[in-house]
Amino acid sequence: MAEPKELMARYCDGDAHAFRELYAAVAPRLLGYLMKMARSRALAEDLLQQTFLKVHNARAAYIRGADPVPWIYSIAHRTFIDEARRSKRAIVQSAGDDVPEVAAAITGESVDRADEPRADPELTAAALAALGELPDAQREAVVLTKLDGKSVAEAAAIAGTTVGAMKVRAHRGYEALRKALGRPGAKGAAA
Amino acid sequence: MSDDAARGLDALAAAPPPLAPGLSALLEAELGKLAPVATRRPLRQLAILVGVSLVYGAALLGMLTMRQDLAELPMAWLAAAGVAWLFGFLLPAYLALVPQPGTLTPRWPWAAAAAVGSSVAFVVLGRLAHPTGASSLTYGWERFPHGHSCLELGLATAVVPVVAGALFLRGALPVGSRWIAACLGAAGGCLGGLVLHLHCRITDWPHVALIHGSVVGVSAALAAALAPRATDRVLERQ
Repeated sequence: MAEPKELMARYCDGDAHAFRELYAAVAPRLLGYLMKMARSRALAEDLLQQTFLKVHNARAAYIRGADPVPWIYSIAHRTFIDEARRSKRAIVQSAGDDVPEVAAAITGESVDRADEPRADPELTAAALAALGELPDAQREAVVLTKLDGKSVAEAAAIAGTTVGAMKVRAHRGYEALRKALGRPGAKGAAA
Repeated sequence: MSDDAARGLDALAAAPPPLAPGLSALLEAELGKLAPVATRRPLRQLAILVGVSLVYGAALLGMLTMRQDLAELPMAWLAAAGVAWLFGFLLPAYLALVPQPGTLTPRWPWAAAAAVGSSVAFVVLGRLAHPTGASSLTYGWERFPHGHSCLELGLATAVVPVVAGALFLRGALPVGSRWIAACLGAAGGCLGGLVLHLHCRITDWPHVALIHGSVVGVSAALAAALAPRATDRVLERQ
């Protein structure tokens, strides 16, 4: 598959197939990020579609030769933040309700992906539940740096903060997770 | 980190990404009428912004008058202050428009530092160095409020670079748009300061520092408040 920057350039030249390839390459990772942030698959899917619609509308801002993925992540970050501010429905009111569903989707249990390696569902659900207890900023720091494999600088650029602030958020997030997952019965609580 | 926490995060990290849904009907409809677009070229945009802004500033100076005490002031100070104002315009404009190679989003922490730094620096410089000539005017604190027209002229000069920059950056700033806008405003304010430097012959320090110097900060604040409405529109919910 071509690199995202090549696909983005072809898409800006009017190639709809390149957009589909770009979506296929980026959307699963982005959906994983949004599911961990929103803790609801339905909301995450809605945010994913909104993100790509914004990418489409803002495609003239693309600079040829640049990697579009961090920019797309930043748009997803902003879309999530805007949604969280606009309506605290899924993030606060039903926090935790969708954890088993999200965990199942992440570990591949709810879809036909028997051929792919699976993570420990119980441990994944416990980690996801603990992650959900973190404030948004700390959760994002942990998701981007620990789970999505971004460097601290990349994560800071995506979230629109400084490297120092991102390090502090990630550290505090890890500490809070350590306490939450170290509690007796933490693993059973989310299941 | 406890074993459970580490293993829990490892399990989450090791999980394959979820399957993404297909494109929404709205996206499919947009792809159905997909047209080529001209992509952003930051250095070209910078050149246009600088060129148009300098022509506009020169036109303003042409309509007004050059300061009457120009020949009476130290040439070294005139030149150094002019270069400082010009540098104060060019550097923030560069930081606001041109990202690092290979990236799409301008360096907002640097832009923020440029906006704050230039806002403070020109007030301090105005306090420290404000030579006077025989034809210069002195308002002092008594007539300080009468100098407001300089603030207005400076802000009017800043309009062109801020508007041009905001148009160029539409959709490019999912994060940090306020700081980038402030940086554009500071750049415009410095251009305004350059016009005032060549036009206004009031030389007491309250006027030079607190009115000419504050054009940068006021312009940055106004741009931070207003410009994101233009830059962020395409990134708002449809």
